[in-house]
Amino acid sequence: MVSPEIAQLQDQQALLTQALRSMLEGTWCGAPPSTEAFVLALDPTLSFTCNPPTLASDAPPAPPNYLARYDPSTDMPRQQASWSCSACALAWLLRALGLNSDCYEQCGINEIGYPNNINPTYGLMDGSGAQLQRVLYEYNQNSEQAWLSYDSAWSIYSQTPGVMSGGAWYHWVGVRGTSDGNLWVANSAPGYDGVWDILTRAQFNALGPFSCVWTTA
Amino acid sequence: MTDEDQAALTQLQTQQMYLTRAMKAACEGRWQGEDSVEAWLYAIDPSLQGQVTANPPSYG
Repeated sequence: MVSPEIAQLQDQQALLTQALRSMLEGTWCGAPPSTEAFVLALDPTLSFTCNPPTLASDAPPAPPNYLARYDPSTDMPRQQASWSCSACALAWLLRALGLNSDCYEQCGINEIGYPNNINPTYGLMDGSGAQLQRVLYEYNQNSEQAWLSYDSAWSIYSQTPGVMSGGAWYHWVGVRGTSDGNLWVANSAPGYDGVWDILTRAQFNALGPFSCVWTTA
Repeated sequence: MTDEDQAALTQLQTQQMYLTRAMKAACEGRWQGEDSVEAWLYAIDPSLQGQVTANPPSYG
């Protein structure tokens, strides 16, 4: 049998080892087996407030690869033609995702296909946005489309950008994301029908129904 | 000091050295892998290998 002093040191070493294990396992505070509990076992006279770190298991998942270069603050110049909002919205999305940093209004028109798919008489010929999805696909960017309710649109665009058009609005915008309870849009005609860069639920409901295109992995 | 005390003391000294290395690794944010908290923990107590589920701090 070892001396009492050596036995005490062995007990303390065991507590330190258990404390180290609890740190590695992310059990920092609270009842045993936590780091806090082992520290107090080593010295019951200590008084402190346990403040655990953020753990790897708490970290949000990494964004999908296609959003790695996404910049929601990408600029949206004012559209030059009266009929090119869809081209501007598409070009914004291509720039924002880092798919084509030089694509602006005319590039968007060319990509959509002038004059069969977009022209001064009708604007974008297919109001669903199918040609916009086709262009995205040609950039190896997947997307989905649906006529969404405000709540569904908000949920989706809080996770991924896209473009959308209101049937009563007759106007396409890029969707940067969400801002509080509203949609944060990239608008090539700022102020049109009272919408600048924020689209509220009331505006969404008044200017819809909205054909929504959103990017996917 | 008895031989038993001397042997126990030698083991404690070694464990304390490993513990110091582990604390240094923690300060440097190295929780798994070579020269990490996990590696030094197993050096202190080899019986823990396979018993620990690491959930280290996130530095993101």
